[in-house]
Amino acid sequence: MLVLSAILPGAGHIARGEWRKGLPILLGWGILLGLLWLTWERIQALLGARRTGIDAYIALATVGILLALLWGWALYDLRVRARRPAGARGDSQWAIAARHFRRNKLAMAGLGVMLLLYLVTLLTPLLAPYDPSVQGDIVTTRYLAPGTEHWMGTDKFGRDVYSRVLYGSRISLTIGFIAVGIAVVLGTAVGAVAGYFGGKTDSILMRFTDMMLSFPRLVLLIVVIALFTPSIWLVVVVLGLTGWMNNARIVRGEVLSLREREFIQAAKALGMGDGRIILRHVIPNTLAPIIVSATLLIGQTILTEAALSFLGLGVQPPTPSWGNMISDGRDALINAWWISTFPGLAIVFTVTAFNLLGDGLRDALDPRLRI
Amino acid sequence: MRRFAIVVLAFVLAACGGRDKTSVADGGAEADSARFGGVAVIGAGNQVTDLNPLTSMDQTANQIQQFVLFTPLITYDSLFQPAPRWAKSWEVNADTTELTFRLRDDLFWHDGIKSSAHDVKFSYDLARNPEAAFPNPGFWTHYGEATVPDSFTFRVKLRPHADFLDPWRAFAPVPRHVLESVPVGQLRQHAFSRRPVGNGPFKFVSHAEGQDWIFEANPQFPKALGGRPYLDRLVYRAVPEPTTLLTELLTGSVDYYIAPTSEQAEQIKQSDRARLMAFPGREYVYIAWNTRRPLFQDARVRRALGMAINRQGIINGVLGGAATQANATIPPFFWQFDPGAGVGLRYDAETAKRLLHEAGYSDRSGDGIVEDVHGRSFRFTIKSNQGNRIRNDIAQIVQSDLRKIGVEAQPQILEWNTLVEQVTTPSKRDFDAVVFGYGTEFQVDDSGLFHCEKRDEPFHLSGYCDAETDRLLDTLPRIVDRAAARPLWARYQRKIVMDQPITLLYFQQRREGVSNRLQNVDPDARGDLVGVDRWYILPGQRRAGGPQQTAQR
Amino acid sequence: MIAYLLRRLIGAIPLLLGILTIIFFITHLAPGDPLGNVGPNVPEEVIQQMRRNLGLDQPLHIQYFRWMGSFLRGDFGYSFAQNRPINEILPETLWNTLQLTLIAMVIIFSLGMLIGIVQAVRQYSLADNLLTFLALFFYSMPGFWLALMFILLVSVKARQWGLPQWLVFPVSGMTSVGAEFMTPWEQFTDRVKHLILPATALGIGAAAGVARYMRGSMLEVIHQDFIRTARAKGLSERTVIFKHAMRNALIPIVTLLGLYLPFLLSGAVLTEQIFGWPGMGRLIVDAIFQRDYPVVLAASFVISAMVVFGNLLSDVLYAVVDPRIRNG
Repeated sequence: MLVLSAILPGAGHIARGEWRKGLPILLGWGILLGLLWLTWERIQALLGARRTGIDAYIALATVGILLALLWGWALYDLRVRARRPAGARGDSQWAIAARHFRRNKLAMAGLGVMLLLYLVTLLTPLLAPYDPSVQGDIVTTRYLAPGTEHWMGTDKFGRDVYSRVLYGSRISLTIGFIAVGIAVVLGTAVGAVAGYFGGKTDSILMRFTDMMLSFPRLVLLIVVIALFTPSIWLVVVVLGLTGWMNNARIVRGEVLSLREREFIQAAKALGMGDGRIILRHVIPNTLAPIIVSATLLIGQTILTEAALSFLGLGVQPPTPSWGNMISDGRDALINAWWISTFPGLAIVFTVTAFNLLGDGLRDALDPRLRI
Repeated sequence: MRRFAIVVLAFVLAACGGRDKTSVADGGAEADSARFGGVAVIGAGNQVTDLNPLTSMDQTANQIQQFVLFTPLITYDSLFQPAPRWAKSWEVNADTTELTFRLRDDLFWHDGIKSSAHDVKFSYDLARNPEAAFPNPGFWTHYGEATVPDSFTFRVKLRPHADFLDPWRAFAPVPRHVLESVPVGQLRQHAFSRRPVGNGPFKFVSHAEGQDWIFEANPQFPKALGGRPYLDRLVYRAVPEPTTLLTELLTGSVDYYIAPTSEQAEQIKQSDRARLMAFPGREYVYIAWNTRRPLFQDARVRRALGMAINRQGIINGVLGGAATQANATIPPFFWQFDPGAGVGLRYDAETAKRLLHEAGYSDRSGDGIVEDVHGRSFRFTIKSNQGNRIRNDIAQIVQSDLRKIGVEAQPQILEWNTLVEQVTTPSKRDFDAVVFGYGTEFQVDDSGLFHCEKRDEPFHLSGYCDAETDRLLDTLPRIVDRAAARPLWARYQRKIVMDQPITLLYFQQRREGVSNRLQNVDPDARGDLVGVDRWYILPGQRRAGGPQQTAQR
Repeated sequence: MIAYLLRRLIGAIPLLLGILTIIFFITHLAPGDPLGNVGPNVPEEVIQQMRRNLGLDQPLHIQYFRWMGSFLRGDFGYSFAQNRPINEILPETLWNTLQLTLIAMVIIFSLGMLIGIVQAVRQYSLADNLLTFLALFFYSMPGFWLALMFILLVSVKARQWGLPQWLVFPVSGMTSVGAEFMTPWEQFTDRVKHLILPATALGIGAAAGVARYMRGSMLEVIHQDFIRTARAKGLSERTVIFKHAMRNALIPIVTLLGLYLPFLLSGAVLTEQIFGWPGMGRLIVDAIFQRDYPVVLAASFVISAMVVFGNLLSDVLYAVVDPRIRNG
């Protein structure tokens, strides 16, 4: 069976009758190979071009790594499982949560969609049939309805909407991911420091957090975006810097209760430095709520970017982001519904996936919510 | 040139088709009494916050002042020739230094006081008072003191200049008895801006900030000027979102949608509830090259860029064909227009490449971008403003057009106020190229755009300096005789084309979405609301509700 | 409790002044000024004159102290764009916004709580999953996109498909043409009709948010001992859910009410923009784009004050509904 799996990952599982594990592996392997085969010409063109974009290499590397991973995991699973006693299960907090999470079908679907989305962003150069910014012949290829040639139609410049949605996913997801990264790091730092030290530090930091919370966010966003040259990074940074406050509050609340717990007291008694205690003992124990709030925040951030784009302040054309695609297509809503409907649906599905995932994580990580 | 205007007009008439051809003159006949009544709603994207003709700054407000609420001294007929309005007649002395208007004596302010020459002088003096900050002081550059020989005669001194009657078309005098006591600096804040008293065909009724202005027919409006308007009421509604506005037109909540986008125009054409009306406009869109920067100092380079841009492609792609290619700043239906000016600027990438080569640019490194002798690539940014999708789209098309001649133009979109500050502040001028728009008056004076002495005026974007252009700009506005001026105007236009301080892209066709029930609508370059007092809606098609006193006239 | 409230209120004053000061400086430092929107025909001298008339020629710190002085005396100053006192603009705009947001709030909380309860009672059932998905679907939708779809469906398509007239709602403004000739009752129904679409567009997404809270909160309560006891006592499921569980699950929801307070007066930028509703959201966006500094400051003050006040209110509400805190 190992041999079988070595040739065709997943085949070994199937031979053992483990269809539920084997089939996805086999399918994944097959789809990736199929992708390579179908896009072989494009890959050659990409590699042969005078200036190959870094994203083409990333895409190829992604395919390679995924193939290797699937193959390796299938082998590993077969070998290790063979030796592992049946029914042995971990009982750590995370293992329990994971078991719980797996039972929540919606959340699993959310996780699947999210993974798929990030995969798509990496593979975009292979998946997108057209260049997102190349304008077609304005007279003959604009406003084409969805069909076999253009799956999601074309926009007013004759650009392929499907390719733009794919490329837009990179922008929108990157914005969501990095902005939330900034917000989470900042919020966790502020919350942990405030909660751990308490007293003056706490009240100053929390005053500041309160002030940021009471600040009309829109005023801040518009003014900052007007002050600097607009770029994707500006949008990312601004969204990150104005989105950390709730996380700070959550973390502070957790830390306040953690601070009095024995293991922290013990670490203090052992003479560990504050920085070390915060990093090694406090923050790891607040991870669960942080993960939940971060997942939900990614969805919110994608929505905020779309709203900014609607006001003309988000990512600027010709770079496609889902927000500015909707905004661009709204003039032709009645005649050419596809231009803004597909990116709109993309947003809805992505944000739904993140929210499902976040809710599932919350249910799984919070013991009080379990049955 | 006049023939051209007629052709354009005939085209507009034919395009709109099937409309009532009743002329304004017989509007008062008893047969059409059915036309009196009903409410029409005008919808537009921009809010009008100020209707005081001395202080308001936006185009729509000016339209309402000219055609709805006030009565200017003169008006233009459909061939853009001056015609009497408040003034019954006018004369100018032999050396064009004194202009005398004889005013009607049957025009009343809406509060019942008779309008007289004293009102005109009062308004004129205020408009020339720098403290009042009248937004169009250019009107009075060649004008001097005014006198009132009698209550219905207004006399004003002037230096001879071309189209000297033009200001009196756009300038609407205000009632002296209302504004006399207001300190000049506080005109802008005075309630008159929001509760104006006019003397035009419609009276002000009410205004809700951010929502609407309501006007009603003025039954006292002189018969000779058309008499009482057909409509009982006229409502101006501001709806900020274009998609909503289009929906309102297509569902019949709005009767007249001012300037829909080109995508929307297509949808209006296909609708069975509304029609699209188009007429050539006076607004043009251009790209200004910042000649203060070394990259754009060579006229050959600028012309190469101009030739490489497919202007017809922009018109077809972005505007759905609804524009006329522009070469110089004179719209095709103006008497000054030179049809031959564009020869030096036809779309021709090969010639453009040659011109670039002559100016020392060629692709030395083989990367597809041309470089100068020092090896610096020809790259620059082209700015446009957020929210104006047409101009953003233009920047994108220009980028792809210029790439074909090896020039890399990177579009950059900035928030409007930021952009204006960057490009118009004389000490900054922080741009390479910018997509901008401008609306020319009937009285053309481009010195603010091209005259070397006005290099530090905010909208002298190009910073272009040329002795011959300066000379032309100095002399042209002073020649009263059109026949004598025409060859010089032609020279001026060719000069602008060859020097290309700015690349003009097109004169936009102005479009209006008009509900099918609204009749006798015929907008043209004079304005969106021209002839609004002759619009009518037949009884069966009127809105339910509304004013009940329709029968009384 | 009262002393605590007073302390919080007094503490909020420097916070608000700080926020206003920051906003004052960042808006003034942002490129452009209120005169950036005048047409290209307006010459530089005229612009300078207008600047003088508006007091914008003074050094920034003088402008700041001048503005702060009049603000502390309760005068927000003049709007540059509307040419009238802000003390006249604010009440109108706030009232417009309040009508919209109050209706939206009713939708948000009634719909949200209902869905949340159903979900919690049937955790992990098909209904729960379906409702979770549906609620999330709307929650995950860009609000402006939903609004556009409403306009398209309810207004344009409804007529094409020949839906009955009462199902067709107006999509812009607050009143119909000719509203001034209607009877008071007609005016009222007219206003309600204009409110329905924007309030629903505004409410649906947020209702899904409330539903999530409600579900979580109900779940937490349902698994507690006293519910088990109540069930064990043989109380009917209806009584258990609505009398015992819901009352306790409402606690976090009530505090949510306080957090929604700022929303009541700050309005909704995009919804107001799309439906042409002249409320606070539109006021502040227009003001920022036009660099109408006094209006930006006044609107920011209202919004910030509401956030502070809403937090306070939510704390108070929490204390009122949760006896553990009241007595402790």
